[in-house]
Amino acid sequence: MSIMNNALTGALASQMSLAATSQNIANMQTKGYTRQMAVLTAIGPETGNNRSSGNGVAVNSLVRISDDYKTQQMWRANSGVGRHTQSQPYLTQLERVMGDDAASLSAGVDKFFEALNAVAGVDPTSTPLRQQVLTAAGTMAQRFNNLNNVFNAQLQSLRQQRSAIVSSANANITNIASLNRQITIAAATNTNHSSLVDARDQAIDALALQLDLEVSDQPDGSRSVSLKTGQALVIGSVAGQLAASTGSTQTFSLDFAGTSFQLDSVSVGGQLGGLGGYERDILMPLQKGVSDLGEQIAAKVNTQLAAGLTMGGAAGGPLFVFSPGSPSNMLEITAGYQTDDLAFSADGKPGDSTNLQRIIDIKNQPITVTSLGTVLIGDADTQLTGKLAVDSQQNRSSLATRETIRNQSVDDWKSTSGVNQDEEAINLVEFQNMYQANMKVMSVANALFDATLAMMG
Amino acid sequence: MRIATSQYQSTMNLSLTLNQDRLSHITQQMASGNRIQLPSDDPVDNVRMSRLRREESSLNQYRENIAAVKIRLSKNEDYLTSMVNDMIQGRDLMVWSSDGANTPEDLKAMVTPLTSLRDSLLYTANAVDQEGRYVFSGTQTDVAPIAYDPAAPLGSRYTFVGNTNDQTVVVGNGITQVANGNVKGVELLLNQLEMTVDEMSKPNANSSDPVLRGLLINNLDGFDDALDLVSGKIAVLGGAHNILDTLDINHSNVSLSNQMALTDIGQLDYGLAATELNGYSNALQATYKAYSKIGNLSLFAAI
Repeated sequence: MSIMNNALTGALASQMSLAATSQNIANMQTKGYTRQMAVLTAIGPETGNNRSSGNGVAVNSLVRISDDYKTQQMWRANSGVGRHTQSQPYLTQLERVMGDDAASLSAGVDKFFEALNAVAGVDPTSTPLRQQVLTAAGTMAQRFNNLNNVFNAQLQSLRQQRSAIVSSANANITNIASLNRQITIAAATNTNHSSLVDARDQAIDALALQLDLEVSDQPDGSRSVSLKTGQALVIGSVAGQLAASTGSTQTFSLDFAGTSFQLDSVSVGGQLGGLGGYERDILMPLQKGVSDLGEQIAAKVNTQLAAGLTMGGAAGGPLFVFSPGSPSNMLEITAGYQTDDLAFSADGKPGDSTNLQRIIDIKNQPITVTSLGTVLIGDADTQLTGKLAVDSQQNRSSLATRETIRNQSVDDWKSTSGVNQDEEAINLVEFQNMYQANMKVMSVANALFDATLAMMG
Repeated sequence: MRIATSQYQSTMNLSLTLNQDRLSHITQQMASGNRIQLPSDDPVDNVRMSRLRREESSLNQYRENIAAVKIRLSKNEDYLTSMVNDMIQGRDLMVWSSDGANTPEDLKAMVTPLTSLRDSLLYTANAVDQEGRYVFSGTQTDVAPIAYDPAAPLGSRYTFVGNTNDQTVVVGNGITQVANGNVKGVELLLNQLEMTVDEMSKPNANSSDPVLRGLLINNLDGFDDALDLVSGKIAVLGGAHNILDTLDINHSNVSLSNQMALTDIGQLDYGLAATELNGYSNALQATYKAYSKIGNLSLFAAI
């Protein structure tokens, strides 16, 4: 009777294998699906029997074909992509604004000094040319303000984006903790939880894009997730909670099991850290640099004007008003400033242009700009834009590298866990053959049985 | 290596994205003719171009200054030339009047041209431009350079009240040009002329009168001095014109080389771009072909 029994176990095993194959084929296009396989093992004979070949085949388990090392690689690569991908649009926007030939700060500064030079070329008392100086000064101030507005808008947008990332990360963290709980229960009740593990891996992958993570496996099937800097985000089914402050500088904290940790906005990594790094290392120094440039042009021009005499013979008043805290009007022309108020004369004679020449010379004077050091006024914006361009280029090439690494690691993961339709086609045919062969064995056993019965009859 | 079916798809997607991204970049470059679309495409060359543009801006300004200064200098020269013409005419009259055979009537007849010459000289010396500034007051452009005080004793009624300060214009890096002028010295001639006219118009004016003769001799010397003075100024203006012309040519040469450098650095090499465009579109087409082949390959089709 063992032939019949063996054929039955074979038929059942091939059915289960076909079921696993059908699940794999069904999920061929499912993102994050890990292929499964029925593990077949031969059943040996009972003890003390050396005349039996064995008792058929058994499906011991369904295995998930996955490699933890590869999933970890994939997550790590995702954090790298996140770090560089979010700041690139901001960098590109700034480059477009600051790199524009016609609308750049440099062009504004050039135009102002050109207008001064034009007065010197014709006559220092010429009213239309003096008017042109005031207009060019206004245009230059406007360019400083426009650029400052772009900086402020970016800061605003950065904060909103980081708040959104924090909420989304919190959702992922909660999701991971809840999946941990379900997986622990499923593992304890010996239920196939492959799809739950897939869902959890996907959630960890999404979280890894937002933050730099350390993930470690626990014996109960759960996964603990913590930040690279050590603070725990998920332990078992306990989830932490991130929070972004609403103060003038945005800070981040993590609440875990009643304890609050302050997080460094850059070293958290991923998208959040990438944006923090952009704010701290590029945007803020650049804004300060442009503000320095505006402040020092204003101060130098005002000081030199004060050393001269107006057409009315009075000492020159300040042309520019610099208010560093003002969100939209950082640099302005003094209200009510008239063409006569421009103090171009050094000795009170209307045709004297000595002081005007000294004002024109300011363009070639050195100033101190944050992140650049000592530069000439005429060259400061060129160098600021140059520095931005280098930063942006660096980020672009880092991003390209990270994306290549990520693609490579995703391919690696797919190479192990992804479904190959040709392979499944072979499985389908082969297990079908196996099923049919076992059925044949059954009919042979049946024939043997019938022959025996016929002898008796 | 084992290849999952979805790996084909992602490889295909990646190749399409990559090629299309490059194609779009090259198309943008070709549309604008600029090699550098964003400063980060080439930060170093971008800084070089920005500096060249700054230098261009300075050069343009120098050249505009030179053009403006040249117009001013030409005008000054015209005024001074007309003064020289007046002075030559006046000097001829002086020579003529110094002839002892002149009758008092002859001398009286000379009073009118001499008076109008004196007024013409004064008018030219006190010339104003379109905005009402005095051309020959030095930097004191709001005051007529030669003042007339009828209450002062004869021979000192005309005085120069401008100054001799220079108004400089930057026409190159560290190079300045004086753009204004003054007529200090012309007032001496005007005073002499007035004294001569006064003496001549007396009813009993006699060309052999030692007082009048002395005045005429002085006046003749005065004309010679003034001619020397004004001609000297014209010569200086002519020299300045030449220097400005040379400077302008230098500036235009530097500007030309800057423009060429800007073109060299910033312009797109269309040949190279077209070749790249071709390469990427070939790659794209090959990807399409490969996908249509591989996409149809399936063991399921055979069983």
